Amino acid sequence: MDKKYIPELEKIVGPENVITSFEERLTYSYDSTRLEYLPDVAVKVRDAQQISSIIKLANDYNIPVTPRGAATGLSGGCLAVKGGISLVMVEMNKVLDINPIDLLITVEAGIVTEKVSKAVEHLKLFYPPDPGSMKSSTIGGNIAENAGGLRGLKYGVTKDYINSIEVVLPTGEIVNMGSNTVKAVTGYNLVDLMCGSEGTLGIITKATLGLLPVPADKVSILAFFKDMTDAAKTVRDIVAEGVITATLEIVDKVTINAIEDFLKIGLDRTVGAMLLIEVDGQKGAVEIEADIVMKVCSANNALLVRRAKNDKERDELWAARRAALSSLSRIKPSTILEDATVQRSKMVELINAVNEIAKKYNMLIGTFGHAGDGNLHPTILTDLRIPEEAEKTEKVIEEIFNATIALGGTLSGEHGIGITKARYLKLELSKPVYDLMKKIKNSFDPDNILNPGKMECNWDF
Amino acid sequence: MEPEAKVKIKKEKFEILKKADDLFVCSRCGTCLAYCPIYKQTLDESLTPRGKMSLLEAISKGKLEYTDRISEKFYTCTSCNLCKEECPSGVKIDEMIETAKSDLIDVNKYPEVIDILKDRIKKAYNITFDSNIGRLDWVKALPEGDPRKYVKEKADVVYFVGCVSSFSPRSFGIPRSIVQELDSAKVDYTLLGEDEWCCGFPLLNSGIKDAASDMAKHNIEAVKSKKAKLLVLSCPSCYHTWKHEYPKYYDGEINFEILHISEYLLRLVKEKKIRLKPLSGKITYHDPCDLGRNSGVYEQPRDVIKSIPGIEYVDLEANRELSNCCGGGGNLESVNQALASKIALSKADEIIKTGADIVVTSCQQCNRTIDAAMKKKKKESNVKVKVIDLPELVLQSINSGKENS
Repeated sequence: MDKKYIPELEKIVGPENVITSFEERLTYSYDSTRLEYLPDVAVKVRDAQQISSIIKLANDYNIPVTPRGAATGLSGGCLAVKGGISLVMVEMNKVLDINPIDLLITVEAGIVTEKVSKAVEHLKLFYPPDPGSMKSSTIGGNIAENAGGLRGLKYGVTKDYINSIEVVLPTGEIVNMGSNTVKAVTGYNLVDLMCGSEGTLGIITKATLGLLPVPADKVSILAFFKDMTDAAKTVRDIVAEGVITATLEIVDKVTINAIEDFLKIGLDRTVGAMLLIEVDGQKGAVEIEADIVMKVCSANNALLVRRAKNDKERDELWAARRAALSSLSRIKPSTILEDATVQRSKMVELINAVNEIAKKYNMLIGTFGHAGDGNLHPTILTDLRIPEEAEKTEKVIEEIFNATIALGGTLSGEHGIGITKARYLKLELSKPVYDLMKKIKNSFDPDNILNPGKMECNWDF
Repeated sequence: MEPEAKVKIKKEKFEILKKADDLFVCSRCGTCLAYCPIYKQTLDESLTPRGKMSLLEAISKGKLEYTDRISEKFYTCTSCNLCKEECPSGVKIDEMIETAKSDLIDVNKYPEVIDILKDRIKKAYNITFDSNIGRLDWVKALPEGDPRKYVKEKADVVYFVGCVSSFSPRSFGIPRSIVQELDSAKVDYTLLGEDEWCCGFPLLNSGIKDAASDMAKHNIEAVKSKKAKLLVLSCPSCYHTWKHEYPKYYDGEINFEILHISEYLLRLVKEKKIRLKPLSGKITYHDPCDLGRNSGVYEQPRDVIKSIPGIEYVDLEANRELSNCCGGGGNLESVNQALASKIALSKADEIIKTGADIVVTSCQQCNRTIDAAMKKKKKESNVKVKVIDLPELVLQSINSGKENS
């Protein structure tokens, strides 16, 4: 490939930030999907102006540009599937402003998610979205994918905390979208359009994020049930009793057994489901809510209910849930983490459907996830090096998606479409909606240089 | 001293080819990015554990050769192993990196400093340019400064001093404290003197496997010849090598107990052979990677500190299994000193955050690295935290009040 544009890139960011060696490009070719697409060049950027210049260059030479944060994504959002430039954002990682009066923080997009909360810890504030990868992932990546987390039921997801953003458009302009007021209805809600656009509509360079006061008190409760049905009824009844919990995590039997194999902490292997519930808020209110949760668990035939009395016990209760994915991933070489999502009321039906699919294909699937918001993580354990296994895995995924859509759910609750789910788009979207998405993309990016090949499918296939 | 001429060894198959299954387990999830001290300072993906695994996978699939550039990546690592501790997929990252280094040695692509090191150890059995006769020079400043008094024919306990504490004057406080403590506890002990050879850790860590068996055999037999029941070590890397590596390289039986000085001091305190007297101040403890994460010794040094009356103990925010490397691990300092020093400064910030007056460690290398970083911090911001090693603290406690009484 002719790379005449390399010297020009070097002029923009300095030669030390232009990565061309095969070895090093290889390390910018993957993300958490474990797929690999080699970029022609990786470029480390420092500010919006540099990005704007690169974008203009990319338009001149017609080179694809794919923004990349920490590459922890699970749908391939940052993979340079058409080659070109991998735009490495991690050095844009500064906190620019903290505004405790208006509960806002302004950061560069490459900052690590967890560092946002750390930056305001001393003010007893926090940034609520907590995706599983928050210790490594970047805010820019979180916004591009509209990342979720454990606290969705009470605290929502990334999009609920984005007040305004600075974006480099695919045509090179640096623009601001949104407003730092609590209310704002001026023009189209472009912030929400950008949030979840998977880097196809613009490159987010700065964001002003909403913060909340750290709750004064929190209580964790762990409960075991004979089956998923009792656990799911408990979830329904907790909400029906008027308690909106901060977290409401469910873990199935396959996963419980995997955790016990791994941690050996004395979990009862005969139980069918585990719920891990956390309530937070003002001191007295938390006590009342915790009591209600305990009662609802017992009323739904919980086999055992434990309430953490202090931080140490809380950590112990959480140990099992935290180890869910690690434990499952040790069973087989490949771990496929899906994020099929249905309404809370349809969760048991989805779990049953997943179990049926697992049985039909003789595939081990452990399911855990965010029961409060119906966002499950059926985790397929397989070995993708064996062609028959890989083929079977594809079928299992497709059947899980079919079941999810049949229940009125969505392909992806928080991981995004990217390339891994793109071919299933037509299960959920109508043709006119898909076409509208393409028109939006085209109006933003007429030369199709920004993250091409994502959220795209061959509709007639 | 000329480094030994490099011998090119043609290898049909790299060791890493046998590890394809282990390499496949890495899911590229990126959890290691949050923990790798190298990535935290450089933000360079090609230096992350995940990046290294992807390079090795490419090599194992024949897509890539070992190159000089790749060699640089693999020797840019502190071997702190925090990545392995936190890896959700259980990738044996340490083993993979060790294998890569061993392959790199075979294909003759490794930092020159390793040849110098190899040469020194081969010629003088220690990591310095000095003759091994100098092993006991540090004894001379002691009240009973005759080195011969410290080397007996037979003894219950052998104290293995380690190269750095034997030859680097700034670390002499450690062995000097230890022998005074052993004397005060009336332990029947001996040093090995010039019969103490480098444990082999610097070579093993660089990927030179074959050198270790000679070291293991010589050192084990030297301890055996003293009819010792117990071997005590103050260097965590020596301790790790003796405890976890030597058994792999030695056919015979290792018929004596092996303890790190922190474990042995706790034993002596519990047996009331050492009497700890009051000290004052707020103390925190840094877990050396080779003692903590890589050998599982976390509580003993803390228990020794907490046994000292009058002090206030506070843990670092990241402690025990999650302790952050001081930057002095692996051979990073000899291949990239600026990077090692950045890591050390970040460790110093962590220590300062605790509000402690004293940071105790149990490793001459951590001690030196953290001390250098603290001196820089003092220049910058006038914060002062004293850095001392556990045996030095214990000696202060034993002698506490003596000057005034």
